Amino acid sequence: MIEIKNVSKSYVKGKKSVEDLNLEIKNGEIFGFLGPNGAGKTTTIRMITGILNIDDGDILIDGKSIKKEPLEAKKNFGFVPDSPDMFLKLKGIEYLMFMADIYDVPQNKRKEKIEELTKKFEIYNQLNNQIQSYSHGMRQKIVICGALLSEPKNWILDEPMTGLDPKSSYDLKEMMREHAKSGKTVFFSTHILEVAEKLCDRVGIINKGKLVFVGTFEEMKQKFKENASLEDLFLEITEK
Amino acid sequence: MNKVIKLTKIFLKNSFSNMDARMGISTKSKSKIIVYGLLFLYFAGLIIFLGYNLLDGLIAIHQETIFVGMILFMIFGLAIIQTIFSSINILYFTKDSEYLLPLPLKPYQIILARTNVMLIAEYLIIFLVGFIPLLMYGILTGAGIIYYLTMIFAVILLPILPVLLISMLVMFIMSFAKLTKNRNKFQLFAMLLILAIIMAISISTSGMKQDLTNEEMAQMVVQANGMIELVKGYVPTVDYLMEALTTNSLFTAIVEVLKTLGITILGFIIYMLIAQKIYFKGLVGNLFGGGASSSNKEINQKEYRNSKLYKSYVGKEFKNMARNPVFLMQCLIPAILIPIIMVVVVFAGFNSDGMGLEQITQMAQQMPTNTFFIACIILGVIQFFTMFIYVSITAVSRDGENAVFMKYIPVSLYKQYIYKIIPNIIMNIVTILVTLGMAEYLLNLPVITLIALFVVATIMGILQSIAMIIVDLKRPKLNWDSEYAVAKQNLNLVFPVLLSMINIAILVGFVYLLKDINVYIGVGILGILYVIATFITNKYLYNKQYELAEKII
Repeated sequence: MIEIKNVSKSYVKGKKSVEDLNLEIKNGEIFGFLGPNGAGKTTTIRMITGILNIDDGDILIDGKSIKKEPLEAKKNFGFVPDSPDMFLKLKGIEYLMFMADIYDVPQNKRKEKIEELTKKFEIYNQLNNQIQSYSHGMRQKIVICGALLSEPKNWILDEPMTGLDPKSSYDLKEMMREHAKSGKTVFFSTHILEVAEKLCDRVGIINKGKLVFVGTFEEMKQKFKENASLEDLFLEITEK
Repeated sequence: MNKVIKLTKIFLKNSFSNMDARMGISTKSKSKIIVYGLLFLYFAGLIIFLGYNLLDGLIAIHQETIFVGMILFMIFGLAIIQTIFSSINILYFTKDSEYLLPLPLKPYQIILARTNVMLIAEYLIIFLVGFIPLLMYGILTGAGIIYYLTMIFAVILLPILPVLLISMLVMFIMSFAKLTKNRNKFQLFAMLLILAIIMAISISTSGMKQDLTNEEMAQMVVQANGMIELVKGYVPTVDYLMEALTTNSLFTAIVEVLKTLGITILGFIIYMLIAQKIYFKGLVGNLFGGGASSSNKEINQKEYRNSKLYKSYVGKEFKNMARNPVFLMQCLIPAILIPIIMVVVVFAGFNSDGMGLEQITQMAQQMPTNTFFIACIILGVIQFFTMFIYVSITAVSRDGENAVFMKYIPVSLYKQYIYKIIPNIIMNIVTILVTLGMAEYLLNLPVITLIALFVVATIMGILQSIAMIIVDLKRPKLNWDSEYAVAKQNLNLVFPVLLSMINIAILVGFVYLLKDINVYIGVGILGILYVIATFITNKYLYNKQYELAEKII
C-alpha cells in the first residue's frame, strides 16, 4: 500500500510543483497516474521513491515513511524509471545479479527468478551481452526484470510501456494484473489513455501540481460527460 | 562557412553549458564571470610565478632565449597530449554525431567544426601556458614590436599542426572501427595504440641528442644562448618560430613566420583531403558498426552466485570504468602509467647527461636517505602522482543521469559513497606501491620506513578520496553528452590538483619546521595529522550524506 499524505514540493520558492497531494493506493489495486507533460507526475514518483525530498507531508510505503525510514521504505518497492539507459557497460546477467545483491534475493531463488522473468520477456539469450548492445525495448525489459527480481510488494513504474513491443507490453500488463490479484500494489504513470482504461482499477489525474481527479473510469464518465471519448474527458479535466 | 561557424558555436555551447551546469552558474552571468575570473587568475598567477623564477635564472646566465624554445616546445607538446585525449572523444564519442549525420551538412563542414572545437580548447590552455610566459619574456627582455607581433602568430599557428597530425592518426586508426566485431574493445585498443605510438615517437626523439659529449654540452651551456641549440632540430615549425622570436631582423622574422604558415597550410590541405576520405567511414563504423560484443552462450552457473553487497558494488564501479575507454584512460591507467612515464623521463634525462643508472643509485645510496626530509620528498612525489587519479572526483558524475539509482535503492547513501571511492583508494595504493618501489630501488630504504610511508600515503589517499567525492556531490555533472565531458572537460578536476598542492605545501612546511626530527617521529606526526583530517572529513560525509545528494535528481 502506498499512502501519500498532504505532500507538497517546490523547486522555485513560491511556486509549487506538487501541491497538497493526497492519495492512497490500496493493496490489490492497479493505479494509473495520468497528466499532461510537466503536470507533476515525475515529481510525485520521485518523491515516492525517495529521489526527491518532500517539502511538506509524508509518503508511506507499507506503513514505512520514505522520509523517516527511507531504507525500510525502499525495500518495499521495485521501481522502473522512465529511462532504461542504465548500467550500459554491464552485461544483462551482471546487472540482474547486482540488483539481486542489493535486494538480498536468496541464492536458491536467483536462478529460477532470473530465468522466469527473462524468458517471459524473451531476453534470456541476451543476458551474456552488454546492455548497451540492447535495443530500447530490450533495455526497458531488463530494467523491469531487475525491479521485479526481489518480488517487491509494491511496483512503481514510470511510463513502463514505452518502447515495449506488443507482446512484451501484453505480458507486462498480464503480470501487473496477476500482481494486483495476489493482493499487491501497482502504481504506474502513463500517457496511453487506452492502457490506463483497460488496466487500471482507479486512475489519478494530476494537472499543474494538483490532483484534479481520482476514481474509476466509470466515475469519471459520470462526473463529466457520459458519452465523451476518453481523450475528450482527459482534455476537459486537464484544460479546465 | 557560415554553417561551420554555427556548428562550431553549437558544439562549444554544448560543452561549455555542461561546464556551467557543473559549477552551478548557468543562470547568473555575474557569478559566472567571477568563477571563471578567479580560476583564470589562479592559474595565471601560478604560471607567472613559475615562469618568472625560471626566466630570471636564465637571464642571469645569459641563456634567456632557451625560455622561448621551452615554451614553444611546451605549446607543441601540450597540443599533442591534449589532442590525443580530446580528438577521439570530440571526433567519435560525442552523442550528437548520430543526430548530425542526417542533417543536410557537407562532410567538410562537420570536420571543420569539430576541428575548430579541438583548436579552441587548445587555445584556451595555450593562452595560459604559452601566451602569458612569452609576453613575460618580451617584457623582461625589453623586446621590440617585432617580437610581440611574431609572438601572436606563433601562439596562433603552432598548435594547429599537432592537432591536425594527431587527429589524422586517430581518424586513420578509427577507420578500422567498421571492421571490428567488438566496438568497445576496439575503442580501447585504439586509444592505447595511439598513446603507445606517441610515446614511442617521443622516446625515440629524446635520444636524438645523446651523441653529444659532456665537453660539447658544457661548451654549449657556457656560450651565450648556446643552449638553444640543444632544443633545436626536433620540430620544424618550432625551429622557425624560435628563430623568428629570437631574431632582431624584421626580414628574418617575416620569412620564418611565413615558413611556418606555409607548412601549416600544407598540413591543413592534406588533413582536409584525408579527413574527408576516412573520417565518416570511422564515425559510421563507430556509431553503428559491429555493435558491442554479442554472444548467445549459456550463462555459467557461477554467474548466479550471490556476493556481498560491497563486492558487487565496487565490482560494478570497476567494470563501468574498465569497459569505458575514456574512463579507463582518465581514471585507472594514470595510476600506473604516470609514475612509470616519470621514471622513464627522469632516467632518460640522466642517461643523456652521460650518467648511468648505476651511478645515480650509488650516489643516492651514499647520502643519508633514511631522513624525514627524504620521507617528505617521497610523500610529495606520491601526492604529485595521485592528483591525476580521477576516480573519486568523477564518482557520481560518471553515472550521469543514472546517478538517481543511488537514491531509490535500499542502501544507505553513505555506504554507496564509500563503495564508490574504494576504487580511488585502490588506485592510490597502486601508485603508492609503484612510487615506493622506485624509491626503494634508488635509495635502499629500511623496510620499516617503507611501511611507515605506505601507511601515511594511504591515509592521505583515503582523505583525498573522501574529499573529492564531496566535491563531486556538491558540483555533480550529470547531464553529459560524452564521457569526455566528465573525465576531461570538467572544472572539478582542478580540485585533486589543489588538494595535492596543499598537501605538498604542508609537507614543505613540516620539513622546514621539523628539519632534524627523527624520521619515524616526523612521519608519525604527519600520520596523526592526516588521520584526524580524514576522520573529520569522513564525519562530514556521513552527517551530510542526504544533503550532499540533493543535486542528484
